[in-house]
Parts: sequence; structure tokens; C-alpha cells
Amino acid sequence: MKGIALGQYYPSGSVLHRLDPRMKVIIAVLYIVTTFLAKNVTAFALLLVSMLLLIAVSRIPLRIVLSGIKPVLMIMLFTMVINLFFVGGERLLFEWKFIRIYVEGLYQAAFMAIRIVVLIVGTSMLLTYTTTPIMLTDALERLLAPLRVLHVPVHEFAMMMTIALRFIPTLMEETEKIMAAQKARGADFTSGSLVSRAKALIPILIPLFVSAFRRADDLATAMECRCYHGGKGRTRMTVLHFHLGDFVALTVFVALGAGLILANRYGFGFSM
Amino acid sequence: MSKITLENVSYVYGEGTPFEMHALRDVSFSIRENAVTGLIGHTGSGKSTLVQLFNGLTRPMAGRVLLDGADIWEKPKQIKQIRFRVGLVMQYPEYQLFEETVRADIAFGPKNMGLPADEIEARVREAAELVGLDEALLDHSPFDLSGGEKRRVAIAGIIAMRPEVLVLDEPAAGLDPRGRDRILTQVREYQRRSGATVVIVSHSMEDMARFCDDIVVLARGELVMQGKTDEVFAHADRLAQVGLNIPEISRVCAMLRARGIPMDEGIFTVDAAARCLERLLGATDGEGASTR
Ligand SMILES: Nc1ncnc2c1ncn2[C@@H]1O[C@H](COP(=O)(O)OP(=O)(O)O)[C@@H](O)[C@H]1O
Ligand SMILES: [Mg+2]
Repeated sequence: MKGIALGQYYPSGSVLHRLDPRMKVIIAVLYIVTTFLAKNVTAFALLLVSMLLLIAVSRIPLRIVLSGIKPVLMIMLFTMVINLFFVGGERLLFEWKFIRIYVEGLYQAAFMAIRIVVLIVGTSMLLTYTTTPIMLTDALERLLAPLRVLHVPVHEFAMMMTIALRFIPTLMEETEKIMAAQKARGADFTSGSLVSRAKALIPILIPLFVSAFRRADDLATAMECRCYHGGKGRTRMTVLHFHLGDFVALTVFVALGAGLILANRYGFGFSM
Repeated sequence: MSKITLENVSYVYGEGTPFEMHALRDVSFSIRENAVTGLIGHTGSGKSTLVQLFNGLTRPMAGRVLLDGADIWEKPKQIKQIRFRVGLVMQYPEYQLFEETVRADIAFGPKNMGLPADEIEARVREAAELVGLDEALLDHSPFDLSGGEKRRVAIAGIIAMRPEVLVLDEPAAGLDPRGRDRILTQVREYQRRSGATVVIVSHSMEDMARFCDDIVVLARGELVMQGKTDEVFAHADRLAQVGLNIPEISRVCAMLRARGIPMDEGIFTVDAAARCLERLLGATDGEGASTR
């Protein structure tokens, strides 16, 4: 378990990894909006191309990207089927008993599928695969900082997130160790009735809770010893700066959005 | 007679991910029956990974693990039986305690073996006595004990299964010198009484020299050396290459030899050095020096 970062962070050292996480959040939001702008074949083609480029730039193996799509495959198929069979139109493509498939339905289904894939892949290329969860939390804290005026405890939420993220791998590692230790004493987690399996969890959960509380206590003490008193007046060790690359990236995505709007207007092909 | 044999064993963590880690590479050696074998190596050299192969907690990616000459993975469904035969005390075992009383915690293993209640009780008492736990402690909560006591409870929990092979992963880590000596002496004593095969993992050369018959040296997931304790320690240069030092006292003896004092070769413990010095001093002025 060690060394496995939480989520899907994949350190390939690409340009995307080096972008300022704040900019990546902004761009991701922009990209999501853009996805919903697309209306005709040209626009969707543009969207698809942008996604492929994004994958190429991220230098993340296709195998990993595909495995990221797997969880939404069912939803995708479902929306496609719904669109295929239930979208009416003028140009009948195929008819068999009560099933009628129209050209419009076919396009609609394809559009929906592309949209879902682009949404998932786009946000994961920009965020989850190329940004560590800690960096992401940091970025969100800063982007949401203005909310402090409304007395939203932004820093405290971010700190809670950071600590939780920091300790999830630790707890997972700990769980594994405790499981191994109990297995070494003949514990069995995989066979028997439901009740006996639930009972088998006790030797794992109790030591896990004991150690989680101990850790929490230690951490609180350690933080207090270092005079932690919340976010007020706190400076940072790593100060984020926007670089030229960040603005270039922003420009590219704004251009993509503009291109899509133009494609909607002047492009060709079926339009929804 | 070898009790456990490893044949070309390799183990990789996170295979196929960017975090791939070759923890063991083509390791082959065997562990002698009825002896105490010390497994030495730096932190991260793969010692813990290795001992988890002994009782089938993990399965090697390549190679075989033999117990009494039979592959332990021959019948994967029976792997639990192997775990009762090869008792593994994991690193920092005090974090695995969970029962309400010390007695119940030590009884967890024997209970999983399906032994009758009176047999379990007898074994719990025997194991507690072996590791030097006071009988009065048996009804306490394990969470109220001191760190050293907790560790002894955890070790007793494995000893109570009466394994043919007792493997201890860094049993002395984080204990004060007296606690370390106590646990290691008790393990040695357990070996003598039960005739079991014992494997102790450590990175302390001093401890190993004093308590082990055989030594296996591991570095970066590869086997460096294996043999009788004095044979292995005789290769001080080879050990130094992998970042391990021979015991302090051996170096002191070497320095004394360099100054013309005829200390014996192959001294690895303070006691042996004291005996040698006593003999030398006795020979010169006929007056026994006091040891230590
Ligand atoms: N669960 C794990 N996941 C990934 N890597 C691990 C895991 N456990 C150990 N390792 C790595 O394998 C190597 C050997 O570890 P280990 O067997 O614990 O060494 P030792 O016990 O000698 O200190 C180390 O580099 C360690 O980081
Ligand atoms: Mg270890």
C-alpha cells in the first residue's frame, strides 16, 4: 500500500503536472462548461480532439485512462440506449415492430457518450491524475478564500481535508498490517456465514480505532506544540505563483471555448 | 536438516503501477531446524517482506517456499494450517491486541485452531509464563499495560499456538536495553525448551551475535551471506559494504590486536571478550580481573 497515493495521481512529470493547481481548477471548470456548449457535429469533433490532445499532453498511459472510464461505462451505455430508442425525429433509420430508431436519436446518443467521456477524462486529466489531493485542497482553499468574508471557515475545512487525506493511506496501511497480524493468528475473513464474517472484523476494527485515536491525539498535541491556532495570520511555506505557462494554458482553453461557440454557429452536421 | 527453504523467491509490491517496488530478488536459502537464525539487513532491505512469505501471508511472485520440504502453496486452501505451524510475530505486534483481557487475547490463536477450552487455558498460562508475564496481568485489559508488556502479550499470543517455527520481526525494536535483553533471552529459552526453530529479524549486530546460531544477511532485497554466526561475522569487510558493521566489541578486539595484545579472533560478544581478557591477564600477573 505504501507509495500508492490516494486517488489516481499518476506521476508522469508532464506539463499538466507542473501547472499551478489553482489554474487547473479554473481550467477544469471552464472545460466542463465548454463541454455543455457543444451543439453540432463540428463542435463535438473539436471537443473529442481536445480531449485526445489533453491525454497526449498528460503523458498518462492510455491503459490507465481507459480504466478510469470503466466505472461510468454502464451509465454511458444506459444514456446511449435511452437516446437511441426514445429520441424521435423525422429521418427514420430502422424499424422493427415497436422499435424505431431515428437518425436524430443516433446523433443524440453519440453526443451524449462523447460528452460523458470528455467530462470524465477531461477533469481527471486536469485534476485527479495530475494533481495530488493535497495540492488540490490547497488550491481550493485559496480559490475559496474570499468566502471568509461571509464567515465561511475555509481554512478550517481545508485543514480537515488535508489531514483526512494525509491519514487515509496511513490508515489503509495500518489496516493491512493488522489484518496480516490477525491472519497470522489464524483469523479468517473470507469464509463462514455473514455473522461470523462480521464478527471477524472485530479484531481489525478495535486495534484500528485505538490507533486512529492515538494518532489524532498525537497530532493535536504536536500541532498545539507548534502554536497552531487556526488560519488567522498564518503564512505559507509554499507560496503558489502563476507562471507564464499557466496563462498560456488558460488562453488555450478560452480559445477552445470560443472555437466551440464558433463551431456551433458556423460548423456543419446534425445539431441538437 | 533444513526446516524452511526458499527457492529463487522474488516479490514485487505494486506490480504494474508507477510505484512498482522489487522488494525481493531471486532469494534462495534455508533455515536450519532447531536453531536460532538471525535475519539481518538495513531498514528497507526486505526483511519483513521475507518473513511474511514464511507463513504464507503473502505469496511469492516467483519461486517456492518449502516447509519440511513441501511447498506451502501446494494447497492454497490449507494455508491457515501453515500459519499455525509457522508462528509469525509481526513488527510492533502490540498494535494487534484487541480483546478485553490479556488472557482472551493470548487465546485468540489457539481458539482459531479449534482447541478445547482446557487446552487453550493451559497454553495461555504456559505462554504467559514463558514470556515472563505475571499471572495477575492475565485478567487486565491489554490496553492498560506498558509498551514492553503489550509486546510480550503479543508474542505470547503466537507462542500459545505452539508453532514449529517461531518467527519474530524486530521483537526488540523500540525497547530499552533491558527490555530487549529480556525478550531475546526469553526467545532463546523458548527455543531451548521447545526445540522449535526460531527466526529473529533485527538490524542490531550486537543482539544477533549474542542470540543467534546462524545468520542470514539481506541487502536491497538480495541475499548477501548466510552461515554460522562466526563465519558471517568473519567477513567484516563484506558486511561493511552493505552498510552493516560487525559488533562494537569485535572492533575493540581488533584494535587491541593491532596494538599487540593477543586477543582471540572471532570475538563477537562482551562476555567472550571478558573471558579472553581474563585469561590473558591471569596469564601475565596471576590475578583474575573482574568481568565488566
Ligand atoms: N505494502 C507495501 N507496499 C509497497 N512497498 C512496500 C510495502 N511494504 C514494504 N515495501 C517496500 O519494500 C521494501 C522492503 O520493505 P521491508 O520488507 O519492510 O523491509 P525491512 O523490513 O527490511 O525494513 C522497502 O523499500 C519498502 O518501502
Ligand atoms: Mg521490517
